[in-house]
Amino acid sequence: MTTLVPITYKGGVYRHDEIVDLIDDLGGYIVQKHVMAQEVVLQSFVPRDDVGLIRRIAKPLAGEVIEAPLVGTEIAVVSPSLEIHHLPHTSCDIAEYLRRAGAKTNMVGLARGFGKRIANLSAEERDVINEHDLAVYVLGSFEECLRQKFPVLRRGVDVPIVLTGAPDRETLTRITDPPVEGYVGDVGRIMHRFKRPEEIRKLDELVDEVSRALDARRDEIAKDPLSIFPARLMDILEEKVQEVSLLTHPTPVTAQLAGLRVKLPYEEYADALRALEIADGVTVGDIAEVLPSKMRNYILIRIKPYSETRIMV
Amino acid sequence: MPPLKYFEVECSDPVGGEAYKRIAADVLQDLDLLKVFEKLHIFVDPKVPIFVAAGVIRHLPRRVRVRDFAGINVQEGKAVLDIGDETYLAPLLTSLWAKFGKENVDQPDRFTVVLPEELFAQGEIEDMVVADPSVSIYQDVIYAMQYIAPEGFKVRRQHVGGTKFYYVASEDTLPEDVVETLVADTFARMGESL
Repeated sequence: MTTLVPITYKGGVYRHDEIVDLIDDLGGYIVQKHVMAQEVVLQSFVPRDDVGLIRRIAKPLAGEVIEAPLVGTEIAVVSPSLEIHHLPHTSCDIAEYLRRAGAKTNMVGLARGFGKRIANLSAEERDVINEHDLAVYVLGSFEECLRQKFPVLRRGVDVPIVLTGAPDRETLTRITDPPVEGYVGDVGRIMHRFKRPEEIRKLDELVDEVSRALDARRDEIAKDPLSIFPARLMDILEEKVQEVSLLTHPTPVTAQLAGLRVKLPYEEYADALRALEIADGVTVGDIAEVLPSKMRNYILIRIKPYSETRIMV
Repeated sequence: MPPLKYFEVECSDPVGGEAYKRIAADVLQDLDLLKVFEKLHIFVDPKVPIFVAAGVIRHLPRRVRVRDFAGINVQEGKAVLDIGDETYLAPLLTSLWAKFGKENVDQPDRFTVVLPEELFAQGEIEDMVVADPSVSIYQDVIYAMQYIAPEGFKVRRQHVGGTKFYYVASEDTLPEDVVETLVADTFARMGESL
């Protein structure tokens, strides 16, 4: 079986369809395509052995191929609120940097996440966070406050968490019990754009922590592989469900590590999706759960592992 | 760093204190208030929790009168106001309309306002106060403090009077004597008194 690796292709609009066709011919998948003025960014999975070939073909088109560890993941950036205290810096800067590494990020602004004693997480917020592959908690400056509020903000969250805050990494590790999957210290509340070298280094460190946590999750999945690779199911849905192509969302179908978020109304499309045949009598319902998402009225597809379905598409 | 005569952040948590010093400097710079403050002392104790900011405002811009931004010519039964700075035109017109009625205030072009001479003579127009920038300075100072203070500290007491101001905030109910004790202490650190 060929191993697919996540990459980002950046290049001009001119002749970019050749790259799209190439990735398709090689058996790769494009999970996100952004056309911005004269520039195209493709977030894709391609066979490991063919990365060199794509680089060679992209060269005369002045295209660039970069390894992007977070392609095909959906990450929640959890901010204590959506007030000026946290936005646009730090939360947006972090979300933007994770997007550059290929992730699809969603900002989760809590209704009452601020404060020390008064910090709270509602059931709805918890469920929304749990629909992601990983949550980055962007918290503030005081060790005392983090110690008291973080256990409340993580209550019931079962996805991997990366915690950021002003105390250094050792302090964050010390005050977090039980431990979380990643820590980035010396961030906290920053009221200016991340631009100094040490700030950019922190963002790089965050991407490393996030990819490390996600790699661990990928390894876990690899032990009991999914019945279908999410990007492949995404490709099939985009081909067979015509309504998807009519959606105006930047990512009408969002790929996750073990599922998809389809931005169609659950009530109208869930049954049709479950009955959709993907290969030789196998339907989506056979290999995945089609669930209502807590995010608007979208559909969340959770792909079941091989051990449960005994089907591999 | 800001051109303040005195700028200190005092905090029981050294990392948090350093972070808040940067936050305060960034906010003051963003809101263009560096020149407004002469002294600023911030005291934060996340254990209590309490946030106290006290300071001295450098100089308050004086009130803007008509003669500050308009030239006045009285001729042929008319008073012509030649507007030099359009910033205050809108509040000027509003006051003139309120005083003389719209039918008596003529504005032939953007920079000219014409009044009948007899009304002008009784109105003391030249000394009329059109705007008071210090009002917005007070608002800006308090907004800056809200911006700097930790977001969860929603219970607050604030005051701006003359050139001194203070802002106290917490998550919990503030002690009644907080002004006499904590705020007075904070002023004392700067060598000032409320």
